[in-house]
Amino acid sequence: MTVDLPTPRVGPLQDAAPKPMRLVLNWGRRYSLWVFNFGLACCAIEFIAASMARHDFIRLGVIPFAPGPRQADLMVVSGTVTDKMAPAVRRLYDQMPEPKYVISFGACSNSGGPYWDSYAVTKGVDQLIPVDVYVPGCPPRPEALLHGILRLQDKIAAEQLSTRSYADRRRLAGAVTRPAVQEPGAGATRVPVAPVAPREARS
Amino acid sequence: MAGSKKRGRSLVPGLMKGMATTARTMTRPAHTQQYPDVKPDLPPRSRGVIALLAENCTSCMLCARECPDWCIYIDSHKETIPAGPEGGRDRQQNVLDRFAIDFSLCMYCGICIEVCPFDALFWSPEFEYAELDIRDLLHEKDRLGEWMPTVPPPPALTAGAPEATEVAAANKPARTPRTRTGPAAAGGPDAAATAASPPARPPERPPAADDGTAP
Amino acid sequence: MTQAPRELTVGVGAGGLATADMVLNIGPQHPATHGVLRLRITLDGERVLKAEPIVGYMHRGAEKLFEVRDYRQILVLANRHDWLSAFSNEIGLVLAVERMLGMDVPERATWTRTLMAELNRVLNHLMFLGSYPLELGAITPIFYAFREREDLQAVMEEISGGRMHYMFNRVGGLRDDLPSGWLGRVEATIAQVRRRLPDLESLIVGNEILHARTRGVGVLDVGVVTSYGVSGPIARASGLDIDLRRDQPYLAYDEVFGADGPGRVVTRTGGDCQARLEVLLEQVHVSLDIAEYCVQRLGSLERGPVNVKLPKVLKVPEGADYVATENPLGMNGYYLVSRGEKTPWRLKLRSASFNNVAVLGELLEGTLLADMVAILGSMFFVVGDIDK
Repeated sequence: MTVDLPTPRVGPLQDAAPKPMRLVLNWGRRYSLWVFNFGLACCAIEFIAASMARHDFIRLGVIPFAPGPRQADLMVVSGTVTDKMAPAVRRLYDQMPEPKYVISFGACSNSGGPYWDSYAVTKGVDQLIPVDVYVPGCPPRPEALLHGILRLQDKIAAEQLSTRSYADRRRLAGAVTRPAVQEPGAGATRVPVAPVAPREARS
Repeated sequence: MAGSKKRGRSLVPGLMKGMATTARTMTRPAHTQQYPDVKPDLPPRSRGVIALLAENCTSCMLCARECPDWCIYIDSHKETIPAGPEGGRDRQQNVLDRFAIDFSLCMYCGICIEVCPFDALFWSPEFEYAELDIRDLLHEKDRLGEWMPTVPPPPALTAGAPEATEVAAANKPARTPRTRTGPAAAGGPDAAATAASPPARPPERPPAADDGTAP
Repeated sequence: MTQAPRELTVGVGAGGLATADMVLNIGPQHPATHGVLRLRITLDGERVLKAEPIVGYMHRGAEKLFEVRDYRQILVLANRHDWLSAFSNEIGLVLAVERMLGMDVPERATWTRTLMAELNRVLNHLMFLGSYPLELGAITPIFYAFREREDLQAVMEEISGGRMHYMFNRVGGLRDDLPSGWLGRVEATIAQVRRRLPDLESLIVGNEILHARTRGVGVLDVGVVTSYGVSGPIARASGLDIDLRRDQPYLAYDEVFGADGPGRVVTRTGGDCQARLEVLLEQVHVSLDIAEYCVQRLGSLERGPVNVKLPKVLKVPEGADYVATENPLGMNGYYLVSRGEKTPWRLKLRSASFNNVAVLGELLEGTLLADMVAILGSMFFVVGDIDK
């Protein structure tokens, strides 16, 4: 039962906006990133460490108090995404309002990391959702997350949410970077669910 | 809070103790590190990124084989060095074409550095290489080489450590039969650290660029 | 629902009303599960009729991956199933391999391992001492807990190079020797942590709100503990006096828990959330004592290596062995079956959190929903340790 909320967008409006306006919009987005921690594994601990007093990413305008994905601008996927968890990741991402950003934090969410040859692990969260910044490490140190946030802020500052670049961003990074995997059932014959003439289904 | 009312006497002290701690902490300076402005002071063993000294690499593939998630890619080809003018035989040499580490996959265990018999790989504490595109996390030979200047010298070892293998080897053929016990510090005679027989452990010697003599 | 219908007296207005049971899913992504545990709870009003932990959201198939990696490569993965006690995980594995090989480990390595295992235990417990009050609504303690964690992680990073996943054990010893002056810095850090621990305690111990939330909540009796195989601080909080460090000593714990060693087993009899928290808190003190003792012993040890030279290809002789260690969260065991190859034929992992969480179904039954988070948090689990 997915709730289909109209996502608030300023994309086309921003295109028409004069440059100073865009600057202000981007500036506002850049320094008030309400973050939603998709804490899955070890990296989540380092994410918490980054939000604590020693590293304190609130200094950079990243606010870790988003009550849920619906109030968040930035999702940090930290940890191994398993195939069982994958639908939840996608669903929570879909719940976030536009404009939304994703940081993939750590090797596991970048590309499966240590578990890339496991039968149960998704090989990178970018197969599910578009990722803006990849932070390498296993787990990355909290400063690396801060660096990733700085990279993201630079990216937002230069952002021009035209319809085209918007569509580009929506395209899955995994689809660009990885060889196409045949969709299940695309070429192969499907197993008939009911005994209704398998011959017909094949033809 | 019905229970706490019964213990009305202790209500004030229990909460106040915590408040007092908060008030006390408020007066102390914060321990926040100002990261983007002030770089963190990292220990030399810190595992940030892997640097490659390509001159030392003989493309023996040991690191690629031992890597727990096989994220090192090596291509090489053989070249024949013709014999010198004063006779001798032609020699074959491996030439490294490609050496790449996929840092999106790397699990930062350091096995590749440990197994490298020719000291071509080193840890650098650098961590600032987050990328916007996952393909950029695949660091090729040049990029890996760029990390080389950031590699710190290894830390000196504690007094309880045995002599470094090089030091022991250098001290062995001493004229006196008794074994000498020199300081086992890492800054030992690294000139003596010839690549005679590679120890199982990465030897303690400064891996900086002045070490560029290929074996 | 196998239970007979209960009489419902709690729950506003639920007294005489006919209510239907409600199924509530907690998780898989829920802040209180710190990770991806899912609980399916059947509610009648506010009363939990049935709670069923659904695991597997973090299942990464580590045991299968062990089978295609050699013993050094396995260490890397073994680190990661319980990410809060990485060092203790490594130890269990190397002990199993060393025992099957019949290998003697240098004394300095053993003491360094003990020291680091105890520091790791402190790190682990500090995490829970911070996060558990957070789940109960107190945000402050975690800041103090993480301040200490950062300092301890700094010394761990100095010797091993990693903040969480140390990858510092090797079969036969340790990867590297101790850096010069490290022991002094460990001692200073321990002293500092000990000096500042009262800050954290002042927020937890004696706090009325915390008491009201935890005292008498989620009482786990010894019978349930033994039947579910619960171990670690949770079992000890219920009065089960069991600690593998003392009962089945490995590493240098023989001496540490000996007559004049600083080791002692912390137990409580309450079995409620407060007792579990208290055990954790006191274990931090004990672990700091042990760590200090290890530092002193290491300082007095003779010069010597910290590892043994291994053959190029390490093959474990045919056979099977089971090694259990007392991890911060409970008993962690490795059942290693080797067929004489360089990879194990099977490496079964007995992780503490799996059993500790299994008891939740029993524990949550009949409690109030508001206490659910308090009980769940007090089970001190790591999701990777449940699902492997």
